[in-house]
Amino acid sequence: MRLVLQSEIKKLQVNCKETFHIFLNELKVVSRDRGVVVIFILAVLAYPLLYNVVYKQETLSKLPVAVVDNALCHESTEFVRHLNATPELNVYGTYPTLSEAREAFALRQVHGIIYIPSDFARNVNTGQKATLSVYCDMSSFLYYRTVLQGTNHVVLDLGKNIQLKRLSEQGIAGEAAQIIAEPVPYNDVVLFNETGGYSSFLVPAVLILILYQTLFFGITILAGTAREENRFHVLVNTSEHKGKILRVVLGKSAAYFMIYLAWSIYVLKVIPVLFQLPHIGNSIDLIGLIIPFLIASIFFSMTISVFLPNRETGMLIFGIFSLILLFLGGVSWPLSNMPGFWRAFGWIFPSTHGIQGYIKINSLGADIQTISSEYHSLWIQTVIYLFLCVWAYHWQIKKSSAKARLRQMASRKKELTIDKTAPLTNSKKDHTPEA
Amino acid sequence: MSHSFFSAVTKTLRRELQRMKSRPLYFICTVGVMSFCFLFFLTLFSPGQPTAMPIAIVDHDQTPSTRSFIRNLSATQQVKVVMQLNNQAEARKEMQKGNIYAFVEVKHGFTADAIANRRPTIVFYVNDTYLIAGSLLYKDISYMSALASASMQQKVLRAKGVNESQIMGIIQPIISDTHLIGNPWANYGVYLITLLLPGVLQLMVLLMTIFPIGVELKEKTSREWLRTANKSMAAALIGKLLPYTVIFILLGIISNILLYGFMHYPTQAGIGGMFLATIIYILAYQAIGILIIGTLPVLRDSVAMAALYGLFAFTFAGFTFPIEQMPYPVQIFSEIFPIRHYFRIYVNQALHGTSISYSYAYYLIMLAFTLLPALVFYRLKKAAIYMNYPTK
Repeated sequence: MRLVLQSEIKKLQVNCKETFHIFLNELKVVSRDRGVVVIFILAVLAYPLLYNVVYKQETLSKLPVAVVDNALCHESTEFVRHLNATPELNVYGTYPTLSEAREAFALRQVHGIIYIPSDFARNVNTGQKATLSVYCDMSSFLYYRTVLQGTNHVVLDLGKNIQLKRLSEQGIAGEAAQIIAEPVPYNDVVLFNETGGYSSFLVPAVLILILYQTLFFGITILAGTAREENRFHVLVNTSEHKGKILRVVLGKSAAYFMIYLAWSIYVLKVIPVLFQLPHIGNSIDLIGLIIPFLIASIFFSMTISVFLPNRETGMLIFGIFSLILLFLGGVSWPLSNMPGFWRAFGWIFPSTHGIQGYIKINSLGADIQTISSEYHSLWIQTVIYLFLCVWAYHWQIKKSSAKARLRQMASRKKELTIDKTAPLTNSKKDHTPEA
Repeated sequence: MSHSFFSAVTKTLRRELQRMKSRPLYFICTVGVMSFCFLFFLTLFSPGQPTAMPIAIVDHDQTPSTRSFIRNLSATQQVKVVMQLNNQAEARKEMQKGNIYAFVEVKHGFTADAIANRRPTIVFYVNDTYLIAGSLLYKDISYMSALASASMQQKVLRAKGVNESQIMGIIQPIISDTHLIGNPWANYGVYLITLLLPGVLQLMVLLMTIFPIGVELKEKTSREWLRTANKSMAAALIGKLLPYTVIFILLGIISNILLYGFMHYPTQAGIGGMFLATIIYILAYQAIGILIIGTLPVLRDSVAMAALYGLFAFTFAGFTFPIEQMPYPVQIFSEIFPIRHYFRIYVNQALHGTSISYSYAYYLIMLAFTLLPALVFYRLKKAAIYMNYPTK
C-alpha cells in the first residue's frame, strides 16, 4: 500500500516537473518570436492607451448648429441666446432662410438647424402653442442625441417662463402657479456613467477584447509556427510528447496565464483609473472574474489554434471577430433585444461573459454573487474547452502519425518502383497546408 | 509590347486562380467572411430600434392611479415593465445583474399628494453604462412623466374655468417638432450597418491583398510569380490582384444592394453614387495593401499591420464618435483612412441627398490613394527577386 502511494507520488512529481518544463519552454518560445512579442507585449500595452486618447472627449460639446429666426421677437432671441449658452450647442450662425441654413448643413459646417417660423411670435403673444422645428444630423447617434438634448433643455426652460406668465394673466400666481406648472415633477437620476460618456460606455468592453483578441492571435501564431516548422506540420512533436497531451496543454496555458494575469491588472485596473473611466468595482471580485475568463479564453484559443495550419491564418480569418465579439458582448445593441440565435452564438465565446462581467463589476459595482451567471458560464467554458483542446490535440496527433506512416510507405514505394509520378503527387499533397 | 504585357497578365491571372483553388482560405476570407457579416449585421439589429427594453417599477403607493401610470408606461414602444420590486436596493441589484436598464420609483402617498396638490415627485433611475438603451429609455420615461403632468394640469385648469383654447398654450407653450434628416425612424441599422459593412470589406481587402503577395515571399515562390509575368512587376501585380478586385467589387455591390435595396435604407441621391464610391474605395484599399506589403515585405508583419490599421478604420470613419470632437492630431490622422472619405460621400449622397458636386473632392481623394503603390514598386520587385527578407 505504502509502496503504491510512494510510486504514485513519484509519478505526480515527475508529471509536475514535466509540466513545469513545458511551461518554461513555452515562455522561451514566446520571448523568441518577434511577432508574438509584438502582440503579447506591445499591442496590450499600446492599444488601451490609443483608444483612450482617441475617445478622450466623453461627450460632444459645443456642437455647431444653425439658426433661422423668422419670428424675431423677444422670446425667439431669448431662445437663441439660451441655446448658445448650453454646454451641448454652439450657434454657428444665423441664416435668413432655411435653404441657406441647409447649405451650411450640406457643407457639414453645422449638425443641426433650429428653425423658428414667423408665426412663432404671434402664437407666443396670443397665448397659443408655439411650434419651432429642429433638424438633426443623423450621421451619428451622438449628433442626434446632443442636438435634441440641447434644444429640449431650452424648450422646457423657456416654456416654463411663458407658462408662469400666462398663468399670472389668468390670475394664478405664486404657489398655485407652481403647482399647475409642474403638478408631478419628475426627478431623473442617471445611476452609472452619470455624464453619459461615450468612452465610459465603450472602452471597458474594448479593454476586455484587447486582452481576449491578443491572447487569441498570439496563441494561433505560436501554434501555426509550430506546425510550419515541424517536419510533419503538426502542433506537438509526436515522439517526444506521446500520451502526455494534458501536460502539454497545462504547461503551455500556464505560461500564457502568467503573462496575462499581470496584463489584466494593467488593462482592467490601472487604465480605468488613469483615464477616469468607471472603476467602482471591488478588486477581489474583479480577480475572481479574471481568473476563469483568462483560463477559458486560453483553452478556447488553443482549441481553435489546432485547426489553423499557418502563422497568419488566425488573423486572416478571425481579424474581423474583434468587431463581431464587441457586438455579441451586448454593450451597444442591448442583449435583451438580440435575436436568440445570436445570443446563443455569443455564449460560445468567453469574451461575451468577460465583457458583461467586467462591466457589471467595474462600472456598476456588482459583486461576484451578482454576476454569478457570467462567473459560472466562464467556469463551464473552462471545463468544456479544456476537454475540447485535449481532444483536438489527440486528433491532430493521430492524423499526423497516419500521415507520417503514409509518407513512409510512399517513399518506400518510390525506391522500389520506376514510375515516380504517383507517389510524388501524393507526397506533395501532404505538404500543402489544408485550410 | 502591349500584346506581350496582356499575355503576361493573363498568365499570372491563370496562375493565381489555380492558387486560389488550392486552399479554402481564399474563399473563406472573401466570400465566407463577407457573407457571415451580411447575415450577422442585417439580422442583429433587425427591428431597427430596440423595443420593449426591460425596466422595473418600485411602487410604494399601489393605487389605481399609479397602476394606470405604469400601464401607460408599458404601452410605449420602447419600455417593457418586467418586474415590480419592493425597494430601491432590490432594483439596484437587478440593474447590476443587467436584467433591467432603468426603474421608476413612486413614493408612498403619491396619489394622495397629487390630489391635495402637494406636488409628489416621480423618480426614475437610468443606467447609462448601456448608452443606447439608457438614452432611449430616458427619452421615453421622461416623455411619459411629462404626459402624466399634462393630464393633471388639464384637469386643474378646466376646474379653474380657463378657456379650453388657452389650456394647451399653458400646458405646452413651446413645442419643438423634430426632423431627423435622412433617417426619420432613428433606425439603428442606418447609423451603423451602412458603415460597418464597408468597414469589414476594407479589412478583408487589405488582408487579401497582402496575403496573396506576401505568401509568395514567404514560400519563396516570388521569382516564379515574376517569371510567369515576363518579369514585369506591373503585370505580376495586376494579374495577381485582378481576381480579388472583381470579387470584392461584386461583394461591395451586393452589400449596397442589401442595404439600400433589400433593407430600404435611404439613398436620397440614388444608389449610383454609392456604387461608384464602393468601386474606388476597394481600389484605394488594394493600393494601401500593396503599400503595406511593399514597405514591410514580411507576411506576418504586414498582416499584423493591416489588422491594426483596418480595425482602426471603425474608429476613424467618424460614424460612431464624431471626428471633429477628437483631439486635433487624431483628426488629421483620420484623413489617411479612405473609409473617412467614404463616410463623407455616404452622408452626402445617401443620407442628405446633396448634389454629387459636394462629394467630388472625396471621390478624388480616394482615387489619389490608388497612386500609393508607385512608392514601393521597386522595393517590392527587389524583394520578389532577391527574397532577402525573413520569412518566419
